[in-house]
Amino acid sequence: MKISHDVAGGGTWGGDRAAALGEYEAAPAPARKDEAWRFANLSALDLSEFVPAGAVSDEGRAIAASQGLAEVSAKMVFGNGRLLDVGKPMLPGGVIFTTLEAAALEHAALFEEFFMAQPAGLGSHKYAALHKARVSGGTFLYVPADTEVELPVEIFHWVEGDRASVYPHTLIVCGGNSRVTVVDRFQSIDGHRAFACGVSDLHLGAGAKLTYIAVQDWSHSSLALHLSSTTVGRRALSTALTANFGGGFVRSESMSRLVDEGARSEMYSINPMEGTREIDQRTLQDHVAPHATSDLLYLNALDGKARSIFAGLIKVQPGAKGTDAYQKVKNLILSDDADPHSMPGLEILNDEVRCSHGATTGPVSLEELFYMQARGIRRDAGQRLLVHGFFSSLLEKIGDPKLRAHLGELLAKRLAIS
Amino acid sequence: MSTETKPDLDIDRSRGDFRYDVSYEFDAGLGLNERTIDYICDVKDDPDWIRKFRKDALRKFEAMPLPTHWASPDLKSIVFDNIRYYLSQGTQPKRSWDDVPDEVKKTFERLGIPEQERKYLAGVEAQFDSESAYSNIKAAVGDQGVIFVGSTEGLHKHPEIFRRWFGKVIPTGDNKFSALNSAVFSGGSFIYVPPGVKVKHPLQAYFRINAENFGQFERTLIIADEGSELTYMEGCTAPKFETATLHSAVVELVAMKGAKIQYITVQNWSGNVFNLVTKRGLAHEEAEIKWIDCNIGSRLTMKYPGVIMKGRKARGEVISIALAGDGQHQDTGAKMVHAADETTSNIVSKSISLGKGRSTYRGLVQIGSHLKGCKNNTECDALLINEGSRTDTYPAISVRGKENSCQHEASVSKISAEQIFYMQQRGIPKAAAMSLAVNGFVNDLVQQFPMEYSVELKRLIDLEMEGSVG
Amino acid sequence: MSLKIENLHANIGDREILRGLNLEIPQGEVHAIMGKNGSGKSTLAKVMAGHPDYEVTGGSVTLDGQPLFEMAEPDDRARAGLFVAFQYPMEVPGVTIANFIRAARQARLSESEDLDAVEYYGELYAKMDELKIPRNFTSRAVNEGFSGGEKKRCEILQLAMLEPKYAVLDETDSGLDIDALKIVSDGVNALRSPARGFLVITHYQRLLNYIVPDVVHVMVDGRIVISGEKDLALKLEAEGYDWVEKGLLA
Repeated sequence: MKISHDVAGGGTWGGDRAAALGEYEAAPAPARKDEAWRFANLSALDLSEFVPAGAVSDEGRAIAASQGLAEVSAKMVFGNGRLLDVGKPMLPGGVIFTTLEAAALEHAALFEEFFMAQPAGLGSHKYAALHKARVSGGTFLYVPADTEVELPVEIFHWVEGDRASVYPHTLIVCGGNSRVTVVDRFQSIDGHRAFACGVSDLHLGAGAKLTYIAVQDWSHSSLALHLSSTTVGRRALSTALTANFGGGFVRSESMSRLVDEGARSEMYSINPMEGTREIDQRTLQDHVAPHATSDLLYLNALDGKARSIFAGLIKVQPGAKGTDAYQKVKNLILSDDADPHSMPGLEILNDEVRCSHGATTGPVSLEELFYMQARGIRRDAGQRLLVHGFFSSLLEKIGDPKLRAHLGELLAKRLAIS
Repeated sequence: MSTETKPDLDIDRSRGDFRYDVSYEFDAGLGLNERTIDYICDVKDDPDWIRKFRKDALRKFEAMPLPTHWASPDLKSIVFDNIRYYLSQGTQPKRSWDDVPDEVKKTFERLGIPEQERKYLAGVEAQFDSESAYSNIKAAVGDQGVIFVGSTEGLHKHPEIFRRWFGKVIPTGDNKFSALNSAVFSGGSFIYVPPGVKVKHPLQAYFRINAENFGQFERTLIIADEGSELTYMEGCTAPKFETATLHSAVVELVAMKGAKIQYITVQNWSGNVFNLVTKRGLAHEEAEIKWIDCNIGSRLTMKYPGVIMKGRKARGEVISIALAGDGQHQDTGAKMVHAADETTSNIVSKSISLGKGRSTYRGLVQIGSHLKGCKNNTECDALLINEGSRTDTYPAISVRGKENSCQHEASVSKISAEQIFYMQQRGIPKAAAMSLAVNGFVNDLVQQFPMEYSVELKRLIDLEMEGSVG
Repeated sequence: MSLKIENLHANIGDREILRGLNLEIPQGEVHAIMGKNGSGKSTLAKVMAGHPDYEVTGGSVTLDGQPLFEMAEPDDRARAGLFVAFQYPMEVPGVTIANFIRAARQARLSESEDLDAVEYYGELYAKMDELKIPRNFTSRAVNEGFSGGEKKRCEILQLAMLEPKYAVLDETDSGLDIDALKIVSDGVNALRSPARGFLVITHYQRLLNYIVPDVVHVMVDGRIVISGEKDLALKLEAEGYDWVEKGLLA
């Protein structure tokens, strides 16, 4: 699986790109026997058709379309991996919000400490290497200690061009007791099949609070790989919610590492699927430190011939006493050909813990559907309402009412289209 | 690796604390190859189709690798060349009562095992003769037309029934160890229950005179014809001393329309044994197969009882209790394959890890998209007692079809300190309180065992707990 | 012979809850403690029982002369004759009431003695009948799925079967309706004897109409501040706790 093009808009920042490319080429492709790829549809990973992305044809239009929240503290817009706009940032002193490329040059020490610091341990080290070789269109956000960024920061990543490839990156480092919310949007300009290989790494210092929302809306024929890691420090709280609205084949790997006492990581995901779309989610809640908590809730609604794989592991290391960890995946089946697979897992090496996981798979409640029909609502509209209700429950976990409302709108729009 | 036919020799061999007299009359020697198979077939006077069956299986066994990409790497410690694959009656190793370790004797005492049985279980005697118990069962069974014999006898005397189902529920190549068993199987039971017969007395392998039943490679085949009902029990709570380190049994159950089979196992092999078992049942229309499994002994047990629900409204159930102490790994689970409409399956697994023991649950639930009205419910709970205790849970759930549903819940916890405090405030010492709580944890499952077992199980759990409460 | 608490100080985590509490319950008497929420009433009960969450930082408790805190384990104190009926009794899944109480009784016998099953069940059923607990509860798991009233009656059943020297009842009346209250109080009153002392901890005066105390103590901020006869309880009911607190500041 060779990609025969040069780095787009990159350069030499970010370490030895040639070495990374060599690593990508040398690494074996995922095989059926690999536990980390159990049930996966490996034929979808053929990258030979993808090409470098050229410049976006109409920058102005892309910038104009990058409208999300009514009020933001800062915004960045990327088109095909190139920075298009930085808007008018209104950030407190000391906050760094810049491209990854700029960060590599101007804040080298920070950059080196945190850029791709966490190894991709959930099966995609080959693609992590590819990303490292090709990354462009990346954001670096650093919030210093004791600093609160009141309004959310918004980032838009656009892709345009048939078989174009993009490698977005979001790196967020929160100093002690800082507060910030980031919304990451991924969208297609022209609906063509594209390849996206992205990474988001979140680091929280002691007492920090981060809310990270990612709305992935690539075209329904695109191939998307996304690797994400979150490292949570002492008494810090990370709330991450990913909505996968697009992508024909999506592989998402999410790892949370609780490294100090009182750390908490919340991992949420909303996945409406239909047609022949496939979403392959692998997660890890890695409890290294004592008295940390984590909570994972992934919701999938499958229609048509959609397919989902959820493989989540809660790992509690020997020193992690007092761990409280939960994991739940719910699969709503809307058609006879929907194909959900669930593999929730636990590996517990300490006895003073409370851990549980659950997986449910089933159709919408017939009683609820009947009730709606009895009130005159048509069956398919009723079903849509139930699916909307199914997902909305997860939005309750978002504290900020404006953010919640905004996400609610995006969700409603997405469900009406399907 | 050659078949030895030397005259009787008294050789004093010590293997650990073992001494035995060996007569070489029925001994295939160490290691496994085609000649071993020929030897076995000759001794047992097997028909040609079995000889071919065994040889095919041997080839498959040799070709398949160890499944260490997902299973415990401890499997690599098995030295296949150092195992005797066929040892007949007269050649079972014996031990002197003095050599039996004190803990073993103490366990017998605590569990109230009769004197006679103790010697058998401890390996002091090669066979246990409980003629009276056995003849009671035989009488009860004979009246109703039930066939209950060893696998060899079943093969020879009832070939039509035997051949129809043998190797059909678990194909030879299912896994490396079913292939091994298919090559060298010996012992185990063959049971056929005629239509409509409900066997009142649970059938037990334990009381059979033939010592081969506790052999390493038992093969059991049970067929319950339409509308019949049967409960079968194997094993016992008392620890069974074994020299053989590899046990690889295969159990196939067939429940015809409306039939019910309940298969109860209590496994307490000594801590040097690798216990790798393949168990599966085929349930036809409206039939029910229930596996009730308790794993307390062995160094490594790998066992995933399964049910293939082939007929409409069939039902499969696995109830499992596992206790893993120091140096033990209980790697158990269940496989439910739904292949017809309105089939239901239920899995309840409870495990306790003590000391540095490790318990693992692996499950597979499959429901096809063309099916309707199928349901699965899985519950697995793990209790960790000490700091080094370990547990893992790896279920795989593939449920398709919008008229099917499944629910899986798993939890891991330790005994609540509040609960222990409450019990202590009532005057119950800490150790006893822990035992009560652990027994309470598995109580609803222990109730499903026949009474004699459930009483012994509780005592056994108490005993195991005593060692670990620190 | 008494249950004597002297200058007891105890913490939960960093917080001091009991701040020099003094109290003596002589054998044969019923004492009541009343106090607002947060005064430390339940803490007193749990500290005496030896609950792991609490730390004693000063003072002592003796039971008929035996120093309680020298008994490290809660079951040692229980066998020494202390019973605590908890405000929120724990559920113990899978352990039946019959087996639970049996284990507790067996723990008080010497190694060689065995409980006589027939005698045991005879006694158990008789006491269950008195407390209007249906006999089939013997095979229910302790407190699992029980209503508030059922849990409290189960505590009193245990009290009746274990015959302690001193019983501490922690808000036994909370969550009970009048009928349940009467049954529980009758059960407790039936166990009053010259050889037994009771400490009844309550928020409301109502219980003390049924279990009439010999002495009433008022607890404020982890200390006993006033003691008096049973009409002290009536005064608190009518006037609240303000006058007590004001008196302290004066």
